[in-house]
Amino acid sequence: MSGEIRSEMSANVWKVVTLPGAKVAEGDTLVILESMKMEIPVLAEADGTVAEVAVHEGDVVQEGDLIAVMV
Amino acid sequence: MTTSPVSADAVTDVRDPLPRLEALFDEGTVKPMSPRDDSGVLSVRGEIDGAPVIAYCSDARLMGGAMGTDGCQHIVGAIDSAIRERIPVIGVWHSGGARLAEGVVALDAVGQVFAAMVRASGRVPQISVVLGPAAGGAAYGPALTDIVVMSDTGRIFVTGPEVVRSVTGEQVDMERLGGPEPHGRRSGVVHVTTKDDASALAKARELASLLGHHGRFSPADVPDSPELGTILPEQVNRAYDVKPVVKALLDAPGVELHAKWAPNIVTTLGKFAGRTVGVIANNPLRLGGCLDASSAEKAARFVRMCDSLGVPLIVLVDVPGYLPGVGQEWDGVVRRGAKLLHAFSEAVVPRVTLVTRKAYGGAYIAMNSRSLGATAVFAWPNSEVAVMGASAAVNILHRKKLAAAKPEDREALRAQLIEEQIQTAGGVGRALEIGVVDEVIEPVITRRRIAEALAAAPSARGAHGNIPL
Repeated sequence: MSGEIRSEMSANVWKVVTLPGAKVAEGDTLVILESMKMEIPVLAEADGTVAEVAVHEGDVVQEGDLIAVMV
Repeated sequence: MTTSPVSADAVTDVRDPLPRLEALFDEGTVKPMSPRDDSGVLSVRGEIDGAPVIAYCSDARLMGGAMGTDGCQHIVGAIDSAIRERIPVIGVWHSGGARLAEGVVALDAVGQVFAAMVRASGRVPQISVVLGPAAGGAAYGPALTDIVVMSDTGRIFVTGPEVVRSVTGEQVDMERLGGPEPHGRRSGVVHVTTKDDASALAKARELASLLGHHGRFSPADVPDSPELGTILPEQVNRAYDVKPVVKALLDAPGVELHAKWAPNIVTTLGKFAGRTVGVIANNPLRLGGCLDASSAEKAARFVRMCDSLGVPLIVLVDVPGYLPGVGQEWDGVVRRGAKLLHAFSEAVVPRVTLVTRKAYGGAYIAMNSRSLGATAVFAWPNSEVAVMGASAAVNILHRKKLAAAKPEDREALRAQLIEEQIQTAGGVGRALEIGVVDEVIEPVITRRRIAEALAAAPSARGAHGNIPL
């Protein structure tokens, strides 16, 4: 299952918890964003491998910005 | 019209409406309402968990299940019977739409089906199960009903891939155009997606049973709920999945509607203290649990469905606010968010709110607050009802004071101001004082207190239809 994972909201990138090449299952946390005083996990939508992580800790992302690519 | 056009060796055809309908009902209870004719529709009555239900099904063996005058009359007859008898009606769909050969006569007939569905709306539960392509008129049929279940082979679209290709040049197959993925996740057209036909029909059975016979609250039989309080994380800014909380609240796992669409709010039908209820819960795992345009609309439709069918509501609140952003404003968060305010305010079914962690700002009002007419509002200890979180409020209210403080004293001052803010405006104390929260309750007695509050309220049912918002 390949796919681009994009931010659903404007937020700060608080933690990157995955790496390119990591095998992940549906529902695993890839990145944790921070917005509205809440930690907001960005989850894998399907089982797969992380091909690319497009953000760094401290980045600001807008809705629709690329966060990771899964293959 | 009475001669069967179906040959004997087609009996095992998966598109045969009779076995599809038989799978819905208790074994041996199915009785035909319409003849096994070439109308393209079969309608029957039978029992689900012992209670009467009416159903109709496209006969996809004939012209792809296309809808003509006679078939549409079978559907209208089935729906009107269900209204008279006040029982649920289930439609099983596999149809390319109106019969082209019949021309405008077929269009008129399809229109009469729509009108019958709207007559029934809010009076009897209407459930649709889409097992094959449901196109054109057959797309709007399911869309007008309360709940749409789609199997892996179900497809819903107004115009098929060929028309799309010839008009817009877009290359798309039926699955990507109108399969479970686009309608379950993106459009919100479908409430429940399943892995195959059998589980789609089983879900429809479960829903008909939940909506068809509600049962009675028996608060005396509700055990304590020690697990409820253990699911929320200690840290207030930590995300968690609210679904286990909903599951622990209900007597048994319910049926979640629109699970993948607008997942920042959860809407589930299930049994609570012996009676069918609707649960609405913010889900902090998605978008921090913020309300947004889609989730407000999803919840509003669910509230109105439950109210029109006499299903009491439990509202679990843990919401940081409305999602900010240009996208949201342009997406109509004001117009679509207003639907939720409207839906709760007009609802007359018993509806109890529980603030588990926090309820801030406009989203606090929208989540079945006292001001919108909640039957009872409970809060867990340490929860907070406020315009915003104490630390955010301090940063705004005391910006100058904080800026003027010596850098080394600033954090201590901030902590002290936050503490003061919680004392005067935060926490749940002020909300209790003015009566917008009735009672702070421990998680362990939550099920019992909610059951008591719901059972004590006079049962009522909204006198309105369930427009597919």
